[in-house]
Amino acid sequence: MSTEPAVIPSNTAPSGTEVERCFKKAILRLVKGGPERLAIEAGQIDAVIDPASGNAILLPAAQRALIERKQAESVQEPHRLAYAILDALGTPIAVLDQAGTVLSANQAWRAFATTHSGAGRSVAVGSNYLSACADFCGTGPVDGMAIAAGIRQVLSGERARFHYDYTCDSPAGRSWSALGVTGTIVNGKACAVVSCEDITERKRGELLLGLEFAVARCLAGAVSAAAALQSVIRAICETQGWDCGRYFCLDQSAGVLRFSESWGVPSAVVEQFLGKSRGMVFRPGAGLAGRVCQSGQPLWILDSTRGAVSPTALAPETGENGACVFPVIADDKVIGVLAFSSSNVREPDDRMLQAVRSIGSQLGRFLQRQQALDALRRSEMRFRALTDLTCDWYWEQDSDFRFTQVVGSSAFGTADTLGLTHWDLPHVVPAKEGWAEHRSQLAARWSFCDFEFATVHPDGKHAYYAISGEPVYDNLGAFTGYCGTGVDITKRKRAEIALRESEARLRAHGRPSSD
Amino acid sequence: MVRKRRDRPAPGLAAAPGPAAATAVVMVLYITDSGPNSVQAIANLEVICREHFQDNFRLEIIDVLQYPLRALADGIVVTPSLAKLSPLPAATVVGNLSDKSDVLRALGIVQ
Repeated sequence: MSTEPAVIPSNTAPSGTEVERCFKKAILRLVKGGPERLAIEAGQIDAVIDPASGNAILLPAAQRALIERKQAESVQEPHRLAYAILDALGTPIAVLDQAGTVLSANQAWRAFATTHSGAGRSVAVGSNYLSACADFCGTGPVDGMAIAAGIRQVLSGERARFHYDYTCDSPAGRSWSALGVTGTIVNGKACAVVSCEDITERKRGELLLGLEFAVARCLAGAVSAAAALQSVIRAICETQGWDCGRYFCLDQSAGVLRFSESWGVPSAVVEQFLGKSRGMVFRPGAGLAGRVCQSGQPLWILDSTRGAVSPTALAPETGENGACVFPVIADDKVIGVLAFSSSNVREPDDRMLQAVRSIGSQLGRFLQRQQALDALRRSEMRFRALTDLTCDWYWEQDSDFRFTQVVGSSAFGTADTLGLTHWDLPHVVPAKEGWAEHRSQLAARWSFCDFEFATVHPDGKHAYYAISGEPVYDNLGAFTGYCGTGVDITKRKRAEIALRESEARLRAHGRPSSD
Repeated sequence: MVRKRRDRPAPGLAAAPGPAAATAVVMVLYITDSGPNSVQAIANLEVICREHFQDNFRLEIIDVLQYPLRALADGIVVTPSLAKLSPLPAATVVGNLSDKSDVLRALGIVQ
């Protein structure tokens, strides 16, 4: 016997009330009677088993139900794969009809609508997306009218695509989404495929990259360590939306962190907070700043109202709800700590930690270089002071012994001197030929000390000078010129001359007369 | 001859996997695919089993479109039909099992 199912073909299926009645009579002839007959007459039977063949003969209602189900399955089958693919995508996607009604949405869209505020909120299948857009008009960062206008343009064929980036505020913090609308045809009618891609990670990365560039610019253009710190703290606060930041410098000699610089948004509360911070000192390991200084690792305190941390760990020190503290490092050593306070502090991701380390390292190198420059500047000032005490002017020459710089109260003006050699100076004595020995010393790159020469003033008087110098070499050892000092010895020389003349007169007076 | 059969427990129905306990009720429900009365019969039986048997029953669901000879061999004339095999006496209920008292009487739960 056959085991194949006995379904009456659809083309022989009875239709119409009269035909159905006749069919039921035929069926009833198969059934002897009793409860089966009563059940058939009550419409509670789906099929009758033919005692001759064993086949099941479907009653009209059951046959219609089966045919409809099979037709529905055959229609849905080609779309099942598409729906499965759409549901597997992480990007929320929905299809809108020409009126803006959501015809279909994938799993990600449905999840997005329940967890986010913004353009996706409450726009479930069957709801009108354009109407929902109108709710966002003027109520936040999302321009619902612009979105609706863009969707209408796509639906009308005015444009093929529409793109709109917007921000959403959710319990997890601020996020960014990219709304994309693309036109398509479904069953001969224009529809719009709307996708809401979460671009928060990318946006945060862009912001942090921008912050790193901003910090680099601040450091490049800073004229002092204080100005650099203020501009860097401000850049970080403005990028991250934090209220204020403070820099605590590690005092190596005392072994404590001292308040150094700060910046905050213009607010009475923030100013009061920063005012209290001035004069603050932390020992390593004490307080947030001290702990970061000791560990060399960033520390984050989230908004205590969200229950992320114990408020007692935060409140005594910052007075704010959240804090971000990270070290400023140079040569693998902590030289200071940057502490930011705000209620907007969120849990850092890897990219944020990377940016924080990069900024701490950049700032550390800058501050260390600045400290070295300050030390050099102080050294130069000391050197200048000593030079001023021991000589009248300082000079530098190029490799051809021409003056490139003359600093101090030179007897001959700087403007007249630059580009000339010592023996080219106006009214110099000895004349050019008299410098031969000195020039041979210079050619041999010898140092010289108290080389004396004179110039003749218009009144015929001489002015006397003594110069000392030594050769200068660049990093590669190449000779680049001379530098040295000069002293006006006119008074001494004139006194010596007067003394010699006086001695000569005395000797002349004391000599016996020949007369 | 071992015949293939379709065990199709309805949602919520727990057919006992091993030999039924001595007091377990053993039933066979003959249906026709997803015919409206067959679907209704499964739903009605689910309610009855949940209320009166908990897990103490064994149910086999046979789709006559897939196994027509099984129904013929078991003397089933129409679907849906519920056959109680044990405990004896055996009984059969035809229809979508919407008459609850009739079903309870056939299953020996009420007299």
